[in-house]
Order: sequence, then structure tokens, then C-alpha cells
Amino acid sequence: MTETMAATGFNDQTFDAFLASRDEPNWLTDDRRQAWQAFREFAMPSRSEEEWMRTDIRLLKLDRYRFPAAEARSDELPSSLLSAGVSVGGHAVSLDGASVEFAIHPKWASRGVLFGDLSAITAEHGETIRPHLLRHAINPKFDKFSALNGAGWSSGAVLYVPRGIVVDEPFHVHTLLSDGAADLGRILVILEEGAEATMLVEMASTIEGGDGLHAGVTELLLGPRAHLRYVSLQNWADHVWHFAHQKAVLDQDASLQWTIGALGSRLAKVNQHVDLAGKGATCQVNGTMFTEGRQHLSYHTKQHHIAPNCRSDFLYKAALQDQSRTVWRGMIEVDREAQNTDGYQRNDNLLLSQQARADSIPGLEIEADDVRCTHGSTTGRVDDEMIFYAQTRGFTRKEATRMIVTGFFQQIFDRITIESVRDALGLAISRRVREYE
Amino acid sequence: MHSDSLFRDVCASTNSQMSEFTKVASTAEIPEGGKHYVELDERLIVIFRAAGDLYCLDDVCTHDGGPLGEGQLEGHEIACPRHGARFDIRTGQPLTMPATEATLVHEVKIEGDDVLVRLSI
Repeated sequence: MTETMAATGFNDQTFDAFLASRDEPNWLTDDRRQAWQAFREFAMPSRSEEEWMRTDIRLLKLDRYRFPAAEARSDELPSSLLSAGVSVGGHAVSLDGASVEFAIHPKWASRGVLFGDLSAITAEHGETIRPHLLRHAINPKFDKFSALNGAGWSSGAVLYVPRGIVVDEPFHVHTLLSDGAADLGRILVILEEGAEATMLVEMASTIEGGDGLHAGVTELLLGPRAHLRYVSLQNWADHVWHFAHQKAVLDQDASLQWTIGALGSRLAKVNQHVDLAGKGATCQVNGTMFTEGRQHLSYHTKQHHIAPNCRSDFLYKAALQDQSRTVWRGMIEVDREAQNTDGYQRNDNLLLSQQARADSIPGLEIEADDVRCTHGSTTGRVDDEMIFYAQTRGFTRKEATRMIVTGFFQQIFDRITIESVRDALGLAISRRVREYE
Repeated sequence: MHSDSLFRDVCASTNSQMSEFTKVASTAEIPEGGKHYVELDERLIVIFRAAGDLYCLDDVCTHDGGPLGEGQLEGHEIACPRHGARFDIRTGQPLTMPATEATLVHEVKIEGDDVLVRLSI
């Protein structure tokens, strides 16, 4: 790492040093420079904007963080929750935005599947990756954090599955962050026509209580009749700022099952969009949030029906304890051409303490006239009678609360088709449940 | 560029503990009818001076998390700029809808020319 690269802050000097540290083609450098221009022009988000009205980032000091270094350190790294005991088709590990290692099983590589660190795969297979990278499913000019990622992304991962290839082993991405570091990871999944794959992405800090910044982008591009199961577990330490832009674009008859576990971070602001762009596409999203302390998780989802005969089903469940807060703002948008749309969205919140707070704002914008779109939201506290009943059967209050929380999430767990993910999420949540009087 | 430029970050210089008073301003910085924003232990708080006395609150409207300090101060009442909920700055208690819960108040005292605050929680 050079001295210049060690300088903190995101400014012209550190950006130039970041570019100089990377050996990239001109098209990529030009793309980064455009995003950097946008980053410079964006002010920090204001609380007068609807998008940020409930999410206070006045305590975020961007200047404390720095662009990722080109090379990873060789720290001792924590083990994975999602991939334990799972036979994977490939794995990629990064630390502080720099690739530590990645590998793909030869049987998949021989069939033309590409997987690994996005920078490295782009350098080696630029012609394949470039059009998808420059497609910018996530517009780098969406906001200040997407622009920061567009300018400074490093590491992350790419999965490319050629036409008709069915991969029956999951790919695992482990993104790690050390205390005070930044991760500007970009994840790109490309499934060509008829391809099938599963990807497990796990974000974690190297130490408990660690600070950090994540400004990430996830782009899932599904060709006609492609099928993807995508799992993302956000398990940062409780001082990490998490800003994520995630988007899936589904072509005709493609299907996506997208499972999200959001447990960590100090503050998370996530924009998750699914574009149902091809006729007959289907999408199921399962969101699980568990918050504690003074955590603030804000999810803004959009299920955009562009083509007819598509189905989308978003279910988000959050359990909150201590003084934590969640904001869920969901929108079903149906274009005029998207007839026979079947759209559903639901957000359930379970408040485990008097001080926790959940804001739930579902919405519909429908221009077509032959659709079925429904949405719902519930927020409630743990029923004392249920606790009392469990106690009469010999359970402690904590055991009873844990059972109720597990039962609350069971609807989500039942929808998750990957056993290791179901187990890891269930275990992580039940460990967090505290005792309340 | 930074929206939090109003806030003075005293975290780095004080190593404050929850139960300890921490110097956050000088008395001259908060004139009658004025307000002063402070970051303390990763909290955003605002100090008002009304009728000669100092009061300290979380800079949060309990209705929807709005920036309470940006509201209009009238006597001992502050009105949230978003929806008009009014709070008593002496107690943090809500006085009007749509707020129904108190915002947190913190102990504040003067020592010489210094204003010190002790966070409640």
C-alpha cells in the first residue's frame, strides 16, 4: 500500500491515487471517472428528501474512510455461516474491498462458467463482462453512494453462467471488513438464457463492535428462462454504515428467489429493485430483519412490472429489540403494458421492547387495468398471554420469547429452499433474543 | 457539503462516559433564545436557552424522527418543523399531536463559562 493510498477521505487526490493503483482498460477508467464526477456533484442526502426523511446520517463522516487498497492483507479471517457443510461450486473472499482468494470448481469452469473477483475476471474476460458491467442496471447517478461505488468499486464478485448451463452447487461470496475500513464491493450475476444457479453472499466484520463503511452495488441479470436463487446475509458489526443498491432484471419467463437476512450494521439504507422486464417473469423476495441496540435498518423496495403476465411476491419480516428502528418502504409499480400482473407485498414487524420502532410504508402505482396487486403491513408486540402460557409449561421468559420470535419468522424460513441458509438465519436470530421483563 | 456541519463533535476530545458531565460549549455560544447542536457519544443533541436557563434534548421528534432543533422555539415550547408537534423543552413531554411520547432530555449545568451535559441513557 502506498502512502497516498493510505490517505483517508474521498477526494480528487485519493481518487486519482486509487485509479493509479489499478491496472485497468481505458473504458473502465472512463466509466469510473463519470461516476466520480457524479459523486462530486451530489450533496450528502438531506432529511428533507422523502427517501432520507426517516434515516438520519448526520453522524456519518465519509472522510474517515478511504478507497480500498489494491492488495488484501493476510489477516486471520472469520469463518462463514452460510457455507458451513455445503459443497460449493466456487468461493470468493475479500477483505476491505480487496480480493483475498477465489476459486471455481473445474467442472463448472470447463462448461464456460465464470466466477470470482470482479476485477480479476473483468481483466481476463473483458469482452464477456464489459457489456453487462456497462449496462449499469444500477444507475451510478442514482445517489451519492451509488456514485461512490461506481467510481471506486473494487473486488466484489461476478458469476457468469452461459446459455443452458445448470449449476447445482452454490457459489459463495464472503465479504469481510476490518475495523475502520471501507468496502465498495460490486456484485454482478449474469445468467444467460435457460441457465440456473445459486449464489450465497455473506457480509461480516472481522471483529465485534467494528466500525466501517460499505457502499455496495448488486446487479442480477437474468436472461429468458433463467433461474436464480440469491441469498444475501448482512451481518456487519454494529458500527458499520451500510449503503446498498440492489437490482434484478428478469427477462421472459425468468425466475428469481431472493432471500435477505439483515442483522448487522449501525445504520443500513438499502434500495432493492426488481424489474420484471420480460413476459411471464416471476420473483419471490424473502426479507428477514432483526435489530437491537440503536440499530437503524431502512429498506426501500420496488417491484416494477414492465411486461405482462409477471408475478412478484415480497415478504419482509422484522423483529426489533432495545431502541432499534426499521423503516420499510415498498412500492409496486405496474406499467400500462403490464396486464395480468400479480403483485404482492407485505411487511410484518414484531416489537420486542417498548422503545423499538418500525415504520412501514407500502405503496402502489398502477397504470394497467387488469391486475391483481395487494399489500399489507402489521406491527405488534409480543403477546403477554403467549409468554405466560409458555411459562406455565415450564419455559423461561427468554425461551418463550425466542420461540415466539422463531414462530414469527417461520413463514419466511418455510419459503427458503436452502437448508444451510435457513439454519444459519434461525440460529443467528435466536442467539440475539434477549430477556425482557 | 456535510449536512451535519451544525453539530460540534465533542466525542473525540472528551472520551465521555454516560454518567459523566462533558463540556459541550461555552455559555457565550448559546445566547437567550438560541440553540446549539452537539454530537456526544454518537448522539445528536440540541441545547436551548430559554428565560435564562439551559435545556438539552435529543434532536429527535418522537413522532417520525424529525430534526426537532430546527423548529421554532416559543417560550419553553419547541415545534417540530415537519408536522408541528410541540414539546416542552424542560421535560421533553409532548404538548400536541401528532407526537405522543416524550423526547429524551439530558442534564445540563454551567461551570464558570462552560456548558456541561450528562446524557440520560
